[in-house]
Amino acid sequence: MDTFLLTPPEITRRDFLKIAGASLALLALTEALTPQVAKALEESLGKTMVVWLEGQDCAGCTESFANSLEPPATSILLDSISLRYHETLMAASGHQAEEARAKAIKEGGYLLVIEGSIPMAEDGLYCTIGGKTFRDIVRETASRAAAIIPVGACASYGGIPRSGPTDAVGYLFRGTQKHHYFDDVTAGKPVINLPTCPVHPERLVAVIVHYLTFGTVPPLDKFHRPLAFYGSSQHENCERRGHFDAGRFMIDWGNPRQHDWCLYLKGCRGPVASQDCWKRLWNNRTNYCIQANAPCSACSEPEFYESFSPLYERQYDVDLPGIGRVEIDKVMAIVAGVTAAGIGADMLISRTAKRKNGGNASKQKVEQKES
Amino acid sequence: MGHRIVIDPLTRIEGHLKIEVEVENGRVKDAWSTGTMARGWEVLLQDKDPRDAPYITARVCAVCEGVHSVASAQALDYAFDIEVPEAGRLMRNLFCSGLYMHDHFIHFYVLSALDYLDIMAVASYKGNAPHLQALRDKIIGLVEKKDTAPFTPRYNPDEFSVTDPELVTTLVSHYIKAIELKAKSQKMLNIIAGIQPNPATIIVGGCTATPSREQLLEFQALWDEQVKFVNEVYLPDVLYLGTGPLLPLATAGLGRAHGNYLCYPMFPQNNPQSRADYALGGSNHLVSGGVITEGETNPAQPVDFGQITEAVGTSWYNYPPGVTHLHPSIGVTELNPRKDGAYSFVKAPRYNGLPMEVGPLARGLVNKYPQLMEVIKAGGKAGVVARHLCRAVESKIVGEAGFAWIDRLLQLATAGPIIGVKEKPVPRKASGMGAWDAPRGALAHWVEIGGSRIKNYQLVVPSTWNASPRDEKGVRGPYEESLIGAPVPDLENPINLVRIIRSFDPCLACAVHLIDPETNDIKVFKVS
Repeated sequence: MDTFLLTPPEITRRDFLKIAGASLALLALTEALTPQVAKALEESLGKTMVVWLEGQDCAGCTESFANSLEPPATSILLDSISLRYHETLMAASGHQAEEARAKAIKEGGYLLVIEGSIPMAEDGLYCTIGGKTFRDIVRETASRAAAIIPVGACASYGGIPRSGPTDAVGYLFRGTQKHHYFDDVTAGKPVINLPTCPVHPERLVAVIVHYLTFGTVPPLDKFHRPLAFYGSSQHENCERRGHFDAGRFMIDWGNPRQHDWCLYLKGCRGPVASQDCWKRLWNNRTNYCIQANAPCSACSEPEFYESFSPLYERQYDVDLPGIGRVEIDKVMAIVAGVTAAGIGADMLISRTAKRKNGGNASKQKVEQKES
Repeated sequence: MGHRIVIDPLTRIEGHLKIEVEVENGRVKDAWSTGTMARGWEVLLQDKDPRDAPYITARVCAVCEGVHSVASAQALDYAFDIEVPEAGRLMRNLFCSGLYMHDHFIHFYVLSALDYLDIMAVASYKGNAPHLQALRDKIIGLVEKKDTAPFTPRYNPDEFSVTDPELVTTLVSHYIKAIELKAKSQKMLNIIAGIQPNPATIIVGGCTATPSREQLLEFQALWDEQVKFVNEVYLPDVLYLGTGPLLPLATAGLGRAHGNYLCYPMFPQNNPQSRADYALGGSNHLVSGGVITEGETNPAQPVDFGQITEAVGTSWYNYPPGVTHLHPSIGVTELNPRKDGAYSFVKAPRYNGLPMEVGPLARGLVNKYPQLMEVIKAGGKAGVVARHLCRAVESKIVGEAGFAWIDRLLQLATAGPIIGVKEKPVPRKASGMGAWDAPRGALAHWVEIGGSRIKNYQLVVPSTWNASPRDEKGVRGPYEESLIGAPVPDLENPINLVRIIRSFDPCLACAVHLIDPETNDIKVFKVS
């Protein structure tokens, strides 16, 4: 019956080189470092403690981490890290589980991964584990961590739960604002936010490998995101950008002619999204939202989700880099006119947008409009 | 004199659950199930654009993600009065059935199996299979380094645990294979969903994806691999364990709840015949819905959605004075985490006043899965083992049904891009309901639209049914009832308790939700 012969989950020197090479590529670092990374991985074998906490989460980031195929999640689990605490995966239950966390805290020096937001309302009562509030658990576990990696939009900035009634926040941020609640225990420790909903497994694996190798974190932006992953604009790099420039906008998902046109009028937040989904894709380079004909929700941004609702509605007027102010109502009037006249829908947004050099960062404009 | 055992957190489930029991003379005498986390999903949907709901509700829980987005989209399809194009229906079916397969085998191998296997027996493997020898050496290496996390600490194996090194090693190798195949399943589903987990493409009116023939052929190849794993590894493993080492647990009926079962129809194979079918995604469902009360052998009755109520007598919510239970469409919720006498963020849903078990066993009994019927005939009882069996059986059913849906999409793709969406403007005022049976059980979304905005949004989801605390009359929920009488010979090692609870595949993120005050007409949908 066992037709599925198992590939032994044994990491060889060759695997280390492969993971090292892949991780360097992920971080856009020179391949000359490959031997150094491989050596660090080998030396850290079975030594790197990870404590993974889940608060107001959906387990999506855990699921996403488990989707890593290169390297396989099971190899990471068995060979590269010592996963001391993870509610969804660990064998232990109840007091055994809490003792495992206490033991890790005593040893100290682990990577702390946080999944899910942290509720601050009602003294933290909206999430308790083993009789303790989640915010107290985060506090005591962060105090002895070597570095802290909030994964997903929720743990980074509050995510979707932030628009609910529990005052859900990320580890450092409530949306775009720092809340300073954990500053005393953070005390200079690196905090690397890896937003999107869920976290991208490659971004997480690369950050862990970088840390194991160099003992440092890659350069971060003001929202504590690694620039290597969150430093480029979806809109500027979008494969549908040609349609945008030519003014071909999808207005009806049911129209086969428009099936790969620009999703801007369908609510696409690509212009305010800083990420590399456009080249990294998801699920082992298979696809991503825009390629699947769905608008980008900018889940990489601290404002997600509240400020970006309605998700499927055209945006407000917005300044686009290199394009200038786009007046959506004029565009829509043209769309309506063209459609009514039965003249194909190849309307030109550039007719309504004055092209200017440079252009302003678009996000601030959107914020002003929506605040 | 009873002894109290508290298991908090109950791990290897989705979400945060606390289980407390009172043990007397080695058996559970009473039990309490507590959901310990709330986010207020329904509150945050208030006043939002209704079209946001499938995207947002998919993220209630990343485990049932696809089913939430589809149930939500169906509620909107009904409210917007949209008949989804055939391609949209097929893509939604494939998304949910792919999810079913990997979700079930991950539950069995990764979340549950450690309760039945002595994983350390791997170290004694003496066979000649090179891949199993490699696995043995790996485990020995971890033991020598004194670093066996996350497999230890754990409850000690008991007399029901599988300890044969050959069998344990094979099963642990399947544990590892299952994780790889789950990653491949999500790679496959991403062709339809855009991002996995947590889809972007499921919207009111259908599914936005327009997979090419090449993408569909890749999908088909990956599908084939999933079905093969289900048929050749997962189902045989479950049948072998259920009729072998775990037979004593099966015949003892460990973990039976009240004997009340509820499931909704899923996987529509034809387009809707009437507008009411929009709520169910279409007609002629592959797996039928039904209600069985007071005993597994009683005949299944049609589901009447009007019979559903929720109580908050022991939940951390307030109802208006004098009100004890309400239909979801006239739900009232006000969070009160300091309420006296309450012990859970989960409400207490009831059908015709009765607590209901939802999930694989309910579907198996209503649909009379042949392997389940055989086991029952041979003396097996409803409970832990039957739940695992039903999951494996239905993985095969939905997996094999998927091939025809892929073929039909391939046909549709020859004529040009697949179009899976029909659009209509947001109605000013409308209401709708959408139902599907998620891997964990009966799932329904209710939406009320006013001023083209969401006035009220409600979810009554599987783990709300199963993890329910006591209702206003003091009647226990299914988790609680299933623990009564369970043997706990060693108070320090209550392994039977976690076997029972995990056999339901708890998903607490979904179970906890808030409903805001709003009064509407009760919408009654009947399905069979």
